[in-house]
Amino acid sequence: MNGLLTSAVAGLTAGGAYGLLGVCAVFTYRLVAVVNFTSAAIGTAGTFVLVVLNEAGIPLFPAVLCGLVAGVIAGVAIGLVMTKWFAESNASTKAAVTVALLVGIVAIGLRLTGGQHPHHFPDLFSGSAMRLAGVELTISSLLTIGLGVAFTILADVLLSRTRMGLHLRALSERPMAAELIGVPVQFLSILVWGITGAVTAFSLMIIAPQRSPDFMSLSLLVVPALAAALIGLFRSFWMTLIGGILIGVVEGMTSVIGGLNQYRGAVPFLIILAVMLWLQRGARWDEAR
Amino acid sequence: MSRMVVSELRVDRVHLPVVREVSLSVESGQISVLLGANGAGKTTLLEGLSGVIPVAGGKIEVDGHEIQRQRPGARVGAGLAHVEQGRTVFRQLTTNENLRAGAASASDVKKAYELFPELLPRRDVLAGLLSGGEQQMLVIARALAGRPKILLIDEMSAGLAPTIVRRLMTTVRKLADQGLAVVLVEQFAVLALAVGNRAYVLRRGKIVYDGACAELRDAPDKLHQLYLGSGS
Repeated sequence: MNGLLTSAVAGLTAGGAYGLLGVCAVFTYRLVAVVNFTSAAIGTAGTFVLVVLNEAGIPLFPAVLCGLVAGVIAGVAIGLVMTKWFAESNASTKAAVTVALLVGIVAIGLRLTGGQHPHHFPDLFSGSAMRLAGVELTISSLLTIGLGVAFTILADVLLSRTRMGLHLRALSERPMAAELIGVPVQFLSILVWGITGAVTAFSLMIIAPQRSPDFMSLSLLVVPALAAALIGLFRSFWMTLIGGILIGVVEGMTSVIGGLNQYRGAVPFLIILAVMLWLQRGARWDEAR
Repeated sequence: MSRMVVSELRVDRVHLPVVREVSLSVESGQISVLLGANGAGKTTLLEGLSGVIPVAGGKIEVDGHEIQRQRPGARVGAGLAHVEQGRTVFRQLTTNENLRAGAASASDVKKAYELFPELLPRRDVLAGLLSGGEQQMLVIARALAGRPKILLIDEMSAGLAPTIVRRLMTTVRKLADQGLAVVLVEQFAVLALAVGNRAYVLRRGKIVYDGACAELRDAPDKLHQLYLGSGS
């Protein structure tokens, strides 16, 4: 029982990162109407910049800053593609474009980073923060959850209380109608892509040391992130954050259950399936009515 | 006193010329009515003027400044507002939020409610839940909240009850009398000609009539002939 609890708590770091990535996915979807499959790949690019610079002897702090800047640049580059050529496309076309971009980024990333060639991922926040019911809570897990909560509060306040948030909500619904009333559509869109680029890069930097250290595995962390976003129905930041944390905890728990541990990677898929079935159930009821 | 002068404008869709060598002008206090059969190029012309579609040739000048290469947002800054067809409200925003999104200041929102008092009791209702007439009032009010000098309105009456259309037409006339320049694209020619000053008839992307609204209002046969061409 104690082993299960320890594993559940160990899953909090991953869960916090999933939650934060999920909140970024909802942020991007709600504000620029894109289900962004490249988010984790953008963060991975930033993380590898950190790793490569650190391996080259650059101290950790400046290397982290450079990684964050790389995340912003990668996010803005994807944002430029989406706003320049696909601003008026429908949601499925935009999602398909980001899948294509993900494939391209992973291919280039694997080429540049040497595929399975081992890299040393520095642990940015190693150590224990506190003990809870006999279980160690790491600084990483508290930090990712704290960041997730902070980003969620900021996003909520931005959208509901500020003029910029009002413009972003208008932009997400009808980009051209928003531009026709003077909303600075391009600037705001690029700002959203840049912010999510930085946040996803930071999330990946925290979670990367616990993961398979190759570009593709880290880029595919978009799957649990989108599963978390789905729990929030791509609308609620809080439900997404909680969903992400739960996915991490369930993943952690399955790692110590014999026979289930080899399937822990399937947890997000099962959650996506369960949420989709739940939504379908509502649709069928409506139709029958 | 504001003035928009359009010279030899060409607008393409999918590399095909839809609007060809169109020249027109509109100035403060005037309503210029754009008429024509379906597919004549009226909406494409408005979209070219506001920047929704890039223009392929020609010039658009607002108060002497060329704007044809600017993005739609910059043209808004030049004083242009475009009320698109299809009542493009932000459905997930309330009436008040729609107005605030387009307003330069709180007083502009207040003025919008004075112009359309019908919207005041609906201020906290999601725009997607408003009636068609209310949505049309909202998109016009939202465009006006940005204090434009020139207002382009596309198919304002589509799908609305005749009483609402008359109400909107009266309001547009009032706005022009207060100094706004209006370009009105309208399927209901009779209603538009009743409030307009100058009429343009488009056929296959070209202007085939440029003259007073009164002349066409009093000669429905001529209007019919202009719509369909001399061979009909």
